[in-house]
Amino acid sequence: MAYLTQYQYYANSGASPEDVNWGSYQYTSLSDIVNNFMLIYAGNNELVNNINRYQVLFHAKRAIQELNYDAFKEVKALELSVDSQLRFVLPSDYVNWVRISMYKDGVIFPLTENIQLNSAAAYLQDQSGRILFDETGNILQPQFSNLDWARITGQQKSIYLNENNPMFDGQAGWNFEGSWYFEYGIGARYGLNTETANANPTFRIDKKAGVINFSSGMDNQLCLLEYVSDGMESGDISAISVNKMFEDYVYAYIRYAILSAKLGVQEYIVNRSRKEKTALLRNAKIRMSNIHPGRLLMSLRGQDKWLK
Amino acid sequence: MINSVRNTVLSVINKNNYGYISPADFNLFAKQAQLDIFEDYFYKINNQINKENARMSGTGLADVTKQLEEVVSSFSTSAELSNLSDNSYFVPSDCYYLNVLQYNPTGVEIERIEESKIRNLTASTLMAPTTAFPLYVYRAISASAIILGATSASSVDVYPTTITGASDVSAFYIRYPKDPKWTFQTLANGEPIFNQTAADYQDFELPLSDEPSLVVKILQYAGLSIREGDVVNFGNTEEQQENIAEK
Repeated sequence: MAYLTQYQYYANSGASPEDVNWGSYQYTSLSDIVNNFMLIYAGNNELVNNINRYQVLFHAKRAIQELNYDAFKEVKALELSVDSQLRFVLPSDYVNWVRISMYKDGVIFPLTENIQLNSAAAYLQDQSGRILFDETGNILQPQFSNLDWARITGQQKSIYLNENNPMFDGQAGWNFEGSWYFEYGIGARYGLNTETANANPTFRIDKKAGVINFSSGMDNQLCLLEYVSDGMESGDISAISVNKMFEDYVYAYIRYAILSAKLGVQEYIVNRSRKEKTALLRNAKIRMSNIHPGRLLMSLRGQDKWLK
Repeated sequence: MINSVRNTVLSVINKNNYGYISPADFNLFAKQAQLDIFEDYFYKINNQINKENARMSGTGLADVTKQLEEVVSSFSTSAELSNLSDNSYFVPSDCYYLNVLQYNPTGVEIERIEESKIRNLTASTLMAPTTAFPLYVYRAISASAIILGATSASSVDVYPTTITGASDVSAFYIRYPKDPKWTFQTLANGEPIFNQTAADYQDFELPLSDEPSLVVKILQYAGLSIREGDVVNFGNTEEQQENIAEK
């Protein structure tokens, strides 16, 4: 694809939306990757020959998926309000979560994943414990299991510190001009289980159901989900792209994937392509980590700070 | 070139004055010989590429692949395919090898795929055909379509099936060489004399360098026709020597 003019880049040639090309120069499109590979690395006089374009397309997409899971560091964020059933439906391109937070009063509260089960399916049973079926032989299920209902209605006990009992409940304090003041706790809390020492609401992801289930503290609160996708852009080929720093790696990945699965390719050639792929991934990751003096300086400024 | 070939053939087989072949027979043999040599080019290219990969081929004037490809390219042509129905398009009747099929709205190549793969591909999430990466399957036209007036025996079915436009698909293909025809005027004594101006005149389409091969090939057919073993043997020996020289 030809390079964009400044007018195309900044103003999308006057078309709407104006911002469609902003930052696009960082990326190479999937079509370009496949086209370049077929042109440069596949052919009669190349290591890779007698290969179909759809095979290259498959490996290119797989490479992009793998890169999206960790190396790209392209985290998407979605803000949704948690409904009355304390659920947050996972986005359509969700693959894995990075961080889940509550956004309240202008502050982002990172939430903790609940180590206990907070949701379960249930079957209807008669008094003797026999499972009930409908006329077509399907098991009858209630809308909510007891566990779910307890969580939704706020009756589920929590092992998390003060989650259901705000930490100053029942504690003596002073009300001054509408605000409560308490004595400052002095000394350490021996025996505190740090894993559960968090007063924010908790969550647990039900992958099969495709929802995040929250504890009752999240009722009607705003939730921020930071997650990674696989970069397939819901099948929109024109939107699939790869950062240019990984372009060479993607070619190497495709070459390796093809050669390693091809009959009659000498093992030393397969090994060479594997090493090349691994080295390029390492290089690309280092480049993406973007270590430069400006960033290091900010962190190092705190090195002489006294810990209280 | 066709007259020169015919004269040479006649001169070789005219031993004892009984080796005459009629213009009609010559045209039949000429067609077979040309097709044979034409098809050989593709195998020669393949052999030459194998040599290249074994580092047994040179560049510049020694670039044999280039020479061979030039000959084949002289048969390269293109045509916008007419729509048969839905996502099916006629393949031109003179098509020998469908080189590239193009999706015209975007100019991308439509990739050929085997019949046994297309169902898996359309069911695949990652590799399903799209207008960015379209596919086609080569199929024979049904007998009913031929009865309805289809001029071609083959069609291509393009995927995704949304590609149905009348001018959506173009083919860049290698066509068959046209049938050579030695045309003539009959003189009073029954002797045919070469007439290059006849409307149906058609020279060989192969390069001049193929004239010896054409003569040899036609001699093989002609020798068989007049049951002259010497001529057949001569043709076979010449061909073998030529093959050895080319390897």
